Amino acid sequence: MTAITSKTKIALLCTLAIPAAFSVSNAAAKTLVFCSEGSPENFYPGINTTGTSFDVNSQIYSRIVEFERGGTKVGPGLAERWTISKDGKEYTFFLRKGVKWHSNKNFKPTRDFNADDIMFAFDRQWKESNPYFKVTSPNHSYFNDMGMPDLLKSVEKVDDYTVKITLKSQAAPFLANLAMEYAGVQSKEYADAMLKAGTPEKLDQEPVGTGAFMLVQYQKDAIIRFKAFPEYYAGKAKIDDLIFAITPDASVRWAKLQKGECHVMPYPTPADLDTMRKTPGIKVMEQPGLNIGFLAYNVTKKPFDDVRVRRAVSMAINKKSIIDAVYLSTGIAAKNPIPPTQWSYNNATKDDVYDPEGAKKLLAAAGFANGFKTDMWAMPVQRPYNPNARRIAELMQADLAKVGVTVEIKSFEWGEYRKRMQNGEHQTGMMGWTGDNGDPDNFLTTQLGCDAAKPGGGNVTKWCYKPFEDLIKKAVAITDQAERTKLYEKAQTIFKDQAPWFSIAHAVQLTPMRTEVIDFKQSPFGRHTFYGVDIKE
Amino acid sequence: MTDTMNDTVVPTIHGSPPHPLREFWGYFSGNHGAVAGLAIIVFVLLMAILADVLAPYAPDMTNTSVALTPPFWQEGGSTSYLLGTDAIGRDILSRLIYGSRLSLAIGIVVVALSVISGVVLGLIAGYFRGILEIFIMRVMDIMLTIPSLLLAIVIVAILGPGLMNAMIAVALVVLPHYVRITRATVISEMSKDYVTAAIVSGAGKLRIMFSEVLPNCTPLLIVQASLGISAAILDAAALGFLGLGAQPPSPEWGTMLADSREFVLRAWWVVTLPGLMILTTVLAFNLLGDGLRDALDPKLKR
Repeated sequence: MTAITSKTKIALLCTLAIPAAFSVSNAAAKTLVFCSEGSPENFYPGINTTGTSFDVNSQIYSRIVEFERGGTKVGPGLAERWTISKDGKEYTFFLRKGVKWHSNKNFKPTRDFNADDIMFAFDRQWKESNPYFKVTSPNHSYFNDMGMPDLLKSVEKVDDYTVKITLKSQAAPFLANLAMEYAGVQSKEYADAMLKAGTPEKLDQEPVGTGAFMLVQYQKDAIIRFKAFPEYYAGKAKIDDLIFAITPDASVRWAKLQKGECHVMPYPTPADLDTMRKTPGIKVMEQPGLNIGFLAYNVTKKPFDDVRVRRAVSMAINKKSIIDAVYLSTGIAAKNPIPPTQWSYNNATKDDVYDPEGAKKLLAAAGFANGFKTDMWAMPVQRPYNPNARRIAELMQADLAKVGVTVEIKSFEWGEYRKRMQNGEHQTGMMGWTGDNGDPDNFLTTQLGCDAAKPGGGNVTKWCYKPFEDLIKKAVAITDQAERTKLYEKAQTIFKDQAPWFSIAHAVQLTPMRTEVIDFKQSPFGRHTFYGVDIKE
Repeated sequence: MTDTMNDTVVPTIHGSPPHPLREFWGYFSGNHGAVAGLAIIVFVLLMAILADVLAPYAPDMTNTSVALTPPFWQEGGSTSYLLGTDAIGRDILSRLIYGSRLSLAIGIVVVALSVISGVVLGLIAGYFRGILEIFIMRVMDIMLTIPSLLLAIVIVAILGPGLMNAMIAVALVVLPHYVRITRATVISEMSKDYVTAAIVSGAGKLRIMFSEVLPNCTPLLIVQASLGISAAILDAAALGFLGLGAQPPSPEWGTMLADSREFVLRAWWVVTLPGLMILTTVLAFNLLGDGLRDALDPKLKR
């Protein structure tokens, strides 16, 4: 060092300054890197439907009530406590005081969170007159698919810290519904400021929430950088920085995890699991997933309007070979539209038998003795409920060729794919669902209900069947779980008989991570949240 | 190299000039690389023609109970699947054999499409000159400024994914090369005496274009076409890799490669073998093209 002239010393210092500062703060700050699988659609969960977006928004926003970490139990969130009237129609929420908002370069909050923000959260999704209703997208999928517009009678602000919600009818899963991601609360003050500035879309691009982490930087398809919010109402997160390194390819994610470039990764390729379990420094957490992957028949399109054709196709596909080849050890065959870990699962349901001969006969009876041509959509990305849709599609294609059905596999970019399927442009297509509030209603209404069967709704079979709809509507209006179970079991029998889906499998939820990660809890809903997670030095 | 050259050129000593084909073979066989290329192409061609006889299984027959079996020489492999199986239990050897059909068909169709349209456009541009030439050549220049794969992706995006559309896209992308070569040769041939003689003796435009000038452009076009086949196979494989080319279950090599990316660390044979096939075939066509150029190009003749 002494040999270097002072000039070079200064130059050297300058070049070192930035990395040095970085490493110093690193020593003190704990950074957790999550190799996420894709970019979020935006930063407003109310119009999102994918786990990818929810994983991001979940860190930023808080909700009126929250699920306990790693469970399905609903606990206090922005509301400290609540009361429910005897008839189950009136909910009064007493809000937490002193909850701080994040700030960013556009916005410095002048007030704490209060009832106005809750009102805004509802109005934005509910009332077309709200100036924000159409901002970013007018399609509030979750809010609509769960029948909220029909369920809500009024949302009233009693005082700054009390909100009263009145329902038109009793709804058992209502509280759990409010803990879901789409109900993330945004700042009314920020919304007003952005509206005034003429840039309302900023509300959803540069988010301000009350959650455990605040957004620092987002670069599409590259990185999302968060910082722990020191004034988070439940106390600052144990880690200081949270980074989402966006890595769409599962084998690249695994390579990064192995090399220590990230600490946690979602959705491993089943084929890599054995190696992962054997690799020192890596642990793989697993739990039965609250999900289902399926092939939806579009019942509004020929020939799938004929239930015989749907049954025949279901009979012609060899489910076991799909699970063996694609899910490997990470899936169990699905016979019902809900997973076995979900209460009200109907054990008595008989699964479709693999019977190509029977399928041929049934097709002949339906007037398709020589088979027919159909498209089959397969999503281009890996999902928690489906490790490789294109591969499954190829297997189905081979199976269906044996009964004379010619299948053309189609794929679109994931966002486009979902939009087109929700509009019902497909004949058959793969889709899936991860439950997000622990209630069977969350599967049946959003995926098979009539509200969701409208164009743009989440029911991609577009199947609206009165007897089924009546049962699930009735079940939602009672609170007695035993009673509801009976109705849901009946609904599952009808579902099986009408065969709007070929239900494929329930995937085991797997989260590989480095052993330095402490206290990560797998969410039954497939979320990846990092509040409460710590890193060993 | 020179020895073989002398052997074959020997006949010239006996007075009469050698038959053109014989002379061509003399030059061509002197280039060992080109002969090797030709041998490989003949092999791939036979594979394609005899696919039904050679392939042990149907290319799209799945059998998930044997998924990801390694090749026979590796531990766990079996001789019933010589080169192993892919993720859903299809025999890789059979798929590669059937894939050669697709790849050769792609190469030939693409080159045929682009040669025919390229030659016609080039002839028109070179013969008529003027505004027509300017128009055609500027359009070709514009096409050349866009990176070839990008242009192909744009065209497929418009037409929709599929093998036929991918071939059309690739044909369009390589078109400018043929147009430019044809036009340049036509212009230089037009000033030659035999053309003037033909014009003087009252030959029609079409006759001059197609029976006088065109035959004299063929050597260059043959060379470009043989090199073009390899480019076409490669581009089509790239489109297949991006999911825009051949659609499942067709055993196109590029598509096979893309489908098995995730196994690169775990089951090398699923990824490596289609890649090797693309490599050898493309290399063979390139070697052949080089040999043809050496043998046919008058400027390079000794």
